[in-house]
Amino acid sequence: MIEELRQRLRALQKTTGLAPGAAETVVPFGIAALDDALGGGLARGALHEIAAPGEAHLAAATGFALGLAASARNLLWIAEDMALAENGAPYGPGLDLFTLQPERLLTAAVAHKRDLLWAMEEALRCRALGAVIGELRGGALDPVAVRRLSLAAGASGALALLLRAQPANDASTAATRWIVGAAPSTGQTQFGPGAPRFAANLIRNRRGPLGSWILEWRDQDERFILATPAQPVAAPPRHRPHQKVA
Amino acid sequence: MREVAAPLVVYGKRGNADVLTAVDEAAERLGLHAGLALAQARAMHPAIDAIAEDAAADAALLEGIADWCLRYTPLVACDAADGLLLDIGGCAHLYGGEEKLVADLGRRIARAGFAYRVAIAGTIGAAHAAARFGEPAAYASGNERDILNPLPLAALRLEPATVASLARVGLKRVGDIVDLPRSPLTARFGVDLLRQLDRALGQEHEPLNPRLPVAPYVAEQRFHEPIAREEDVLGTVEKLAARLGIALERRGDGARRIELTLFRTDGAVRRIAAGTSRPLRDAQDIRALFTERLAAFADAIDPGFGFDMARLSVVTAESCPSEQIGIGSEDAGELVRLVDRLSARLGTSRVGRPVSLDSHIPERAAATVPAQTVKADQGWDAFRRHRAEADLAPRPLRLLTRPEPIEALAEVPDGPPLRFRWRRALHDVISAEGPERIESAWWSEPDAHAADNRARDYFRVEDKSGLRFWLYRSGLYRDLVRGDLANAAPPSWFLHGTFA
Repeated sequence: MIEELRQRLRALQKTTGLAPGAAETVVPFGIAALDDALGGGLARGALHEIAAPGEAHLAAATGFALGLAASARNLLWIAEDMALAENGAPYGPGLDLFTLQPERLLTAAVAHKRDLLWAMEEALRCRALGAVIGELRGGALDPVAVRRLSLAAGASGALALLLRAQPANDASTAATRWIVGAAPSTGQTQFGPGAPRFAANLIRNRRGPLGSWILEWRDQDERFILATPAQPVAAPPRHRPHQKVA
Repeated sequence: MREVAAPLVVYGKRGNADVLTAVDEAAERLGLHAGLALAQARAMHPAIDAIAEDAAADAALLEGIADWCLRYTPLVACDAADGLLLDIGGCAHLYGGEEKLVADLGRRIARAGFAYRVAIAGTIGAAHAAARFGEPAAYASGNERDILNPLPLAALRLEPATVASLARVGLKRVGDIVDLPRSPLTARFGVDLLRQLDRALGQEHEPLNPRLPVAPYVAEQRFHEPIAREEDVLGTVEKLAARLGIALERRGDGARRIELTLFRTDGAVRRIAAGTSRPLRDAQDIRALFTERLAAFADAIDPGFGFDMARLSVVTAESCPSEQIGIGSEDAGELVRLVDRLSARLGTSRVGRPVSLDSHIPERAAATVPAQTVKADQGWDAFRRHRAEADLAPRPLRLLTRPEPIEALAEVPDGPPLRFRWRRALHDVISAEGPERIESAWWSEPDAHAADNRARDYFRVEDKSGLRFWLYRSGLYRDLVRGDLANAAPPSWFLHGTFA
């Protein structure tokens, strides 16, 4: 009886990207601590929110999002006009150095938040896109619209990333929520800044425990590495047998 | 409310005097006519209501009617300030003959409140003359001479001065000059006279210049009962697109730009265009395109009392061999369809792809161009080769639209800044890399010494909290020391981009 209910629950969860995924439906970080917390990696076909702790850190949050989306064959970046004017547009030569070939990038500028959500949903329904990044400057989001994004992502299996200039605490169906800012790099010598580092703070995770890590982007490996040992901010929840942490 | 009872006249300035340009029926009964001086008309009938002419509004109204006439034929041209020319060759049978077409046109024009005169003839000149000076009717092609003979010479679209000088020698009607020897006429009155005569008689071809380019592919649908719902409009689009698709396929073409023309029952015409990023033939795709275009209008399509006709035309077609459709990966097709949908809803210029441009100035080295127009080679391979050869320093992830001035403090004049203030926040620089000198484009700029066109020294800096910026100093201290007066403005600092 219980098993039957669990199976039904799993079937329901599958459409929202909450069910524990198989190996190919996640974007692994390649870092054991992080992948364990996320159940193998960042789930594809689900919505993830990445917020900068403040507008100045937006470039770092952007880098983090692009690092996650870099494995996609095609990706679409949607931003409001205001965000592009205020924080700058994605710059091809810079993206290229961040191991994201600009040929794979498609950009869309929208006038309103309404258009942003529409375009994101539309793009998520397209199977040719591996990742969709929506950049939001501020303000709350309609929970219904966010839910629709989650469902659209679940249907196509694309990685949906919502990039926010400020952390928000509105209710959301996002699978994970991150606050990502810049962290001081190691190469602070006369030779200039070293490899970019990110202070990544996982503040919501529907699949497992939270945590915060300092990550470093490795250009040559095209992946993040752990810069310092993980410091979990919360113990894993105790009684959630169906969301077992591997 | 304007007093309707008073006779209405319209006047405009001709030379130095206000002259009546048009009169209504009541004014005509009083003996007023166009060409009379306004002062004289007022003296004769003080009660008339005179309003100034508005040529722009008249022209706009005529163009509106011309648009409406597109329902009969795609070849519509404006004729002088008060007439329209319709080339109905090959269209009349759709209405059951020329008489029925004229009757339909007349009924609709009259219902809209316009007085009209229609003539059908074999040449533009003969139709023009018959509609304005003769008996408005449908004349068979070939008897232009019979139409024109009794009409005054002004009917030939001649300069008033020519008409006046012809009248002086007793030539008043077209019939008077038709059989005269040609060379003396040309010698005395110029080539224009006989050219206009030949054109009116059909001895010289006169092309019609349609107002709008004629689409290579057109499909249309008339409705007995006007349609108003968006779904019905889209359903019609799909039906018409299916018909166009057959024609396109037969000639191996695909549509690059499609226009939907909706004719409202009250005469208003709505034209909606949509572009595509590759030649398109599929009815479903075309419908999807217009779904987005219609959704982009805030007030939907404003059908009023409904549309009684819809036309779908392919304005720009491009050859696309049939094997080309369907080849290529499934993904490419999906992506192109998405680009078209987004472009239709958001606007073509808003959906872009980055391309690399051949410039060493950072803000000109890359640009975003409409994704629908972008070619296969976006120039990034060339950029990568250049980067490898020149060992280019890292570029920022996000580049500000315009470099923002910052207050910066440097240890040594030509060195990186120690601390700087950007958007009211102070940043202490911990480490810096640079300078990378980027010279101005002195060879192409007219004012090579302008403040924003000086050599730049770029630095990549990191502040205490790990934020990474791309700063530059515009201008060199060297120039100050040399006492170069043109460059006397001290160097200034800017922030141009942010790194991850």
